[in-house]
Amino acid sequence: MIAIINRILDWLKSLFWKEEMELTLVGLQYSGKTTFVNIISSGQFCEDMIPTVGFNMRKVVKGNVTIKIWDIGGQPRFRSMWERYCRGVNAIIYMVDAADHEKIEASRNELHNLLDKPQLSGIPVLVLGNKRDLPNALNEKELIEQMNLAAIQDREICCYSVSCKEKDNIGKSPDFKIHLLIFHILVSKI
Amino acid sequence: MKMYQKREKKDDEDAAGSNPFSKLQKTAVLQEARVFNETPVNARKCALILTKILYLINQGETLSTQEATDAFFNMTKLFQSKDTTLRRLVYIGIKELSKLAENVYVVTSSLTTDMNAKEDQCRPSAIRTLTTITDVTTFQGIERYMKQAIVDKNAAVASAALVSSLHMAKLIPDGIKRWVNEAQEAVNSDNVMVQHHALGLLYHIRKSDRLAVSKLVTKYIRSGLKSPYAVCMLIRIASKLIEDEDSGTDSPYFDFIDSCLRHKLEMVVYEAANAIVNLKCTSQRELTPAVSVLQLFLSSPKPTLRFAAVRTLNKVAMTHPNAVTACNVDLENLITDANRSIATLAITTLLKTGSESSVERLMKQISSFMSEISDEFKIVVVGATRQLCQKFPRKHNVMMVFLSNMLREEGGYEYKKSIVDTIINIIDDNPEAKEAGLAYLCEFIEDCEHVGLAVRILHLLGKEGPRTSRPSKYIRFIYNRLILENAPIRAAAVSSLAKFGAHCEDLLHNILVLLERSCLDTDDEVRDRATYYLNVLKLRQKSLHNQCILNPLQVSLVGLEKALQQYILEPSVTPFDMKSVPLATQVDKVEERPKKPMVNGLTNEALPNQVSKAPAEKIAATRQDIYAEQLAAIPEFVALKLGPILKSSLPIELTESETEYVVQCVKHIFKRHIVLQFDCTNTLNDQILENVRVSMQVPDGFEEVCTIVCPRLNYNIPAPTYTCLEIVNDDTSMITGTCENILLKYIVKDCDPNTGQLLDEDGYDDEYALEDVDILVADYMQRILKPNFGTAWEEIDSEHEVEETYALSSFKAIDEAIKNVIGFMGMQPCERSEKVPEGKSSHTLYLAGVFRGTDEVLVRAKLAVNTSNFESGVTMKMSVRCRNPEVATFIALKRDYKEITNNPIPNIYAKPLDNNILEWHFAMRGAQQTPYENGLYHGRIEFPVDFPFKPPSFYMLTPNGRFKCNTKICLNTSNYHPEAWNPSWSVASLLIGLYSFMNDDEPTWGSLRSSKEERMQLALMSWAYNLQDPIFVSLFPELAQECKRKISMICSSKMIKT
Repeated sequence: MIAIINRILDWLKSLFWKEEMELTLVGLQYSGKTTFVNIISSGQFCEDMIPTVGFNMRKVVKGNVTIKIWDIGGQPRFRSMWERYCRGVNAIIYMVDAADHEKIEASRNELHNLLDKPQLSGIPVLVLGNKRDLPNALNEKELIEQMNLAAIQDREICCYSVSCKEKDNIGKSPDFKIHLLIFHILVSKI
Repeated sequence: MKMYQKREKKDDEDAAGSNPFSKLQKTAVLQEARVFNETPVNARKCALILTKILYLINQGETLSTQEATDAFFNMTKLFQSKDTTLRRLVYIGIKELSKLAENVYVVTSSLTTDMNAKEDQCRPSAIRTLTTITDVTTFQGIERYMKQAIVDKNAAVASAALVSSLHMAKLIPDGIKRWVNEAQEAVNSDNVMVQHHALGLLYHIRKSDRLAVSKLVTKYIRSGLKSPYAVCMLIRIASKLIEDEDSGTDSPYFDFIDSCLRHKLEMVVYEAANAIVNLKCTSQRELTPAVSVLQLFLSSPKPTLRFAAVRTLNKVAMTHPNAVTACNVDLENLITDANRSIATLAITTLLKTGSESSVERLMKQISSFMSEISDEFKIVVVGATRQLCQKFPRKHNVMMVFLSNMLREEGGYEYKKSIVDTIINIIDDNPEAKEAGLAYLCEFIEDCEHVGLAVRILHLLGKEGPRTSRPSKYIRFIYNRLILENAPIRAAAVSSLAKFGAHCEDLLHNILVLLERSCLDTDDEVRDRATYYLNVLKLRQKSLHNQCILNPLQVSLVGLEKALQQYILEPSVTPFDMKSVPLATQVDKVEERPKKPMVNGLTNEALPNQVSKAPAEKIAATRQDIYAEQLAAIPEFVALKLGPILKSSLPIELTESETEYVVQCVKHIFKRHIVLQFDCTNTLNDQILENVRVSMQVPDGFEEVCTIVCPRLNYNIPAPTYTCLEIVNDDTSMITGTCENILLKYIVKDCDPNTGQLLDEDGYDDEYALEDVDILVADYMQRILKPNFGTAWEEIDSEHEVEETYALSSFKAIDEAIKNVIGFMGMQPCERSEKVPEGKSSHTLYLAGVFRGTDEVLVRAKLAVNTSNFESGVTMKMSVRCRNPEVATFIALKRDYKEITNNPIPNIYAKPLDNNILEWHFAMRGAQQTPYENGLYHGRIEFPVDFPFKPPSFYMLTPNGRFKCNTKICLNTSNYHPEAWNPSWSVASLLIGLYSFMNDDEPTWGSLRSSKEERMQLALMSWAYNLQDPIFVSLFPELAQECKRKISMICSSKMIKT
């Protein structure tokens, strides 16, 4: 009986809360973008991934939020196309390999390049520092500093440290939903 | 073309008023495509816009790369919609735009996701789309998924993956080879289509390895295939294998094909029958079951089956008309078939198999519906008519009328061209049809919209018209062209008129008037030609007419272009010399024919009528130019200043074709040098040959100047090595000979068969014996065409004529003899004299050539079949005219030698000295039942330089008791009685004369009187005496061996007596 009432409540909620979001997921190759999409859509972690050639389009339904994610390949030849798929989305998720110190600089440059595009002005950005399970991974504070996120003033921006492997901060902990909600609220404020 | 189609289509649709897309604008549609970016996607709206874009592309609208790329990326946004219809449209869009847009590989991951999706609906299309955007860089990423798809449970997915693999094989052949295991697994599929496609892929992967293919075929013949499509393919592969292996009808593959004739499905039965009739090795016996199967199909209620059967029979009728005769009754029934294509093919087949009497009836039948069939089939009819004319030359009247009626009707260029070709062919083959044919062609050019055809006919009129009975009647048609047509046709008409003027004196005056008018033409080319011809004709010199108007340009065009370019690059005061340009190789059609590309068993689509000979001839014409270019690239030859190539021979095989090393030799003749090009192929995959060169014993009169070594000979990659000989002795009699003891020398190094990596560094020397290379008269002779042989013949004085008579006893028929004479002389037959009208017992052959690039040689040979007495064969009286008497003599004598070695006279052997063709030696066995019975007599013949104008002298060298040794013998024929000498006597006839004269006892100058016993004694001693003569031993080594045996026999018999 209670179940039925809950379902009715859910249904009622969904009427008012039905939200659709479109996100674009970019970042350098091997930073874990496709893995991230797999985790939030099916919760499965797979070590053996092949590089994304072009893009993958995924729809993730979490409660009453439907999220469409454009997961774009990170190899240099695809970087010029990032902008095409970032136009008009609700938010850009920028994935960084927090454990690969050598690539941080390249990653920072690509991010700033992307955000300089006039077409993308004002679109909120969520920077995710992946692979925090690794010993020498940067934490959030270091990441903000290394990525020079303070310089980005024209939009909402936030930075989290996550691990797709340990599912830290994603999926398993209730935190993730909260994060998404925070993020969602961030977005809808604009 | 596209634009035209587009307009036509649009017009049609406007009239119907139903096409909603007829007024589409490209820019507006592309603007609309931005809707794709909106979320959520409106599937119906987007599908409509996408359809519009596809419509525009298919109508021939061109998109710039930028436009295409933008449209493409907008389209990728549609991947967010789950709508299947829209998704499929997106696939089509990707396929269409993949060739136009940039960076199309961005959809690779999305498509791989789709092809692995849970719903089957989109998977096959996703696979097919994926292959269109895959290139070498993205191939690796999709390989794993493709392998999975090939063995997928879903048949549509597996088929799509297999067919896509075949498409990708063009781009990434090595990558696809790694999928062989999956393909093999897929052949075992239960689905008919999958099995078919898998076999196709498997065959494609192994195609280049004949052994693997035969294993494949054997395996599936044994295990049997369920899918009829796969069986059909297996039949095709097997028949190709039979052709490749040349294994004939006793091959197990043939048994398989034959057994398929009894298959339960018509498809397989037809395929087997088709394969059998297309095999080259089949005889009537093997054909019969196939043809009877096709005959059954002829009365099938299914039109497709009837069509297939009649089309195949039509093909068989070309090669084995007798085999098809059995089907004539069924074919007759098909003449009235409702399907015109079937009817046409039935009639043309009947025309090929039918008898002379039925020709007229069939032609009438076919003309009744000619207007209802398409051009393509009309061409088939024309082809059949052409063959019919060759078969029944007497029916040319009916054919000509039929063809001319067809010429009058509407038709495309290809159709008209095939009719004109046929008429010209008939004129060529049959002189009786000439006048009628020319008349029809004249009528045709009165109203001909095809410039190319009109020019061709005008050229033909110029060539043939002047030699008809009433040349004047063609002038009107040609002159009409001058008034009515455009510039190219007018120019051709001027040239044609000039030829009439040059040939017919009574018309010359009128022609001059007409040409004068053309001098005022508006076109430069026409004016130029008219002025040129006018001035030449005004001089009224027969030889000049010949040279400037009637004879075509003899030089090779590529060579001329190169020579002129060279001349412009190096400024010089001397005028350009036309003689320095290499002559064009006249293509011998008889030799060309077998070279025609084999009709592939797997793609035997082209109708044999349409297999054009043109490309093959074009290659042959420039073959010499290719060689010239290759030789010019070798610095050693450039240093020798060889000059232009006078002639390159056809390749001669110096080895059997299946040996370890295959070597072909091409002889390039230069003014003072001969370059022998040895094309070597190494057929052993575990060896690499290095430092490959050829050594040989050079004949007298030549000197080896240099050899070009081939540094490395890899497996199956042919490479040349060259030997250059200088002609030391310019005496014409010394320029032929045989290169003997030819050895291919090289260092062998072992290597890995798979990688080609060297296994041992040092290697060892080895050699390989090749066959001898003869340098013949024909090698020095270039073919030239004299369109007007008569006047060319008159131009050279009869003073320079050498006449010879030969008995060609080994030939039974004239045409056979003619073919051999042409081949031996290496000269060009003129005025189509190589064709012998049927049923004639005598014929005259005209040959023209240029000897060693300088001396023009003309040969007129009269041939007649010997029907009198017991001596069968062909007699030839040959006259040679050449300004250089030495050359004429040489050519005549060389024939003699050939004559004797080909048709040995019993008991007489004769050979010229290797270093002096004017001195011959002979040996004759004593005749039976004469005192000379047990003897062998050696002698000498000396020819004067101006032989055969003056007689040769004979000397006996072996003591014999009949003639004095080393003294001129007086025969009627020899130089003791020059007044009785007849130049037509050949060496053979002289020797027979001497032989019979010896057996007489008639006294003459140089004869001896001695007793019978003395002569018998001398006969026994002759063997030992001959052995002492070094010339005898070297010229007649076999006889020398016999001498030794004989001596030991004589000795032993003497010992018994004593």
